[in-house]
Amino acid sequence: MNSAEELKYLLPNSVVSVGVQTNKPQAVIRKEDFLKVAEKVKELGYDNLSVITGVDRVDRIEVIYNLFSYKKKQNLALKVVLDHRSPEVDSVTSIWKVADWLERETYDLVGVKFNGHPDLKRILLPEGWIGHPLRKDYDMNTEQFVTIGEDGEDIVSPDGSNLLRRK
Amino acid sequence: MDPVTIDTTKIRMTKRKPETALEKLEDTNLINTLLAAKDREGFILLTTIDQAMNWGRLSSLWPVTSGLACCAIEMMAVSMAHHDIARFGMEVFRASPRQADLMFVAGTVTKRMAPRVKQLYEMMSEPKWVISVGSCANTGGPYHESYCVLKGVDNIIPVDVYIPGCPPRPEAWLYGIIQLREKIKNEGYGAKWGLNK
Repeated sequence: MNSAEELKYLLPNSVVSVGVQTNKPQAVIRKEDFLKVAEKVKELGYDNLSVITGVDRVDRIEVIYNLFSYKKKQNLALKVVLDHRSPEVDSVTSIWKVADWLERETYDLVGVKFNGHPDLKRILLPEGWIGHPLRKDYDMNTEQFVTIGEDGEDIVSPDGSNLLRRK
Repeated sequence: MDPVTIDTTKIRMTKRKPETALEKLEDTNLINTLLAAKDREGFILLTTIDQAMNWGRLSSLWPVTSGLACCAIEMMAVSMAHHDIARFGMEVFRASPRQADLMFVAGTVTKRMAPRVKQLYEMMSEPKWVISVGSCANTGGPYHESYCVLKGVDNIIPVDVYIPGCPPRPEAWLYGIIQLREKIKNEGYGAKWGLNK
């Protein structure tokens, strides 16, 4: 019995399905129960949240949490499937502190809203950027430029006349 | 004595515009200065101001310490003893753009870094030159279709020499540096008149 099947045995109602992806056990979790499952997983000894990944599957958005247990030397991946129009899931910053920046990254690039996050804002792109670039429906035709304001802050605009050379 | 009448319409200005390099030199009265110096048995270094200044400029090109991505690692390799750009007088990487007159744009110019690169270039004092290094800085390279990378640093600042490669080998850097030295050698009016040969 791998770690995902163990979780399915403990919480049969919250775990939708189990499987193996790239040699790592993976469990698909109902998004309503995700915070409860995350607490249980932390109790099982998965103390390290390695990375949070967001994937745009056009009809849905998947968020994958890659976990590792230093005590058991085991991997576990949790996956939640979200609605494409309004992707929302509970934040796990109260359980793993590292989720703060990882969730901000997923919010920045994929546009997943994490409910209960203490400071949900962009982490890589400057404030004011239009769209989430790793979405399949991101508009690549309008180019956006960054300039520096008077106080050193980043200003985003599609007009690059202050930045580009006059030709 | 008969009065002499001068027909002013017959007099023409004989002075014509100097055309060849030698005529231009004579026009500047430099020959007389040289002859006067020869009479005094003085020693003369015959050159033009352009030639002397260009020699000074190309012999002490000080780059600004800035790197954007992996090409900057190659920049370190170029400046180390094995490839040794100290022989061009370029080993002094200045920490301040005010003291530098060459900028290597070494690496990916992201949209967020672009105004900083432009500001760095504007802070450098004249005369100044730019070498764009690597595919990313030249055209955007592998990130040409990206949402966050500028499609060539020449969109924001003028570039003198482009060095292709991903990243370029140190030999390619040295070749690019030699090309820039050739370019600096042929700057100014002296080169236009053909006096800098």
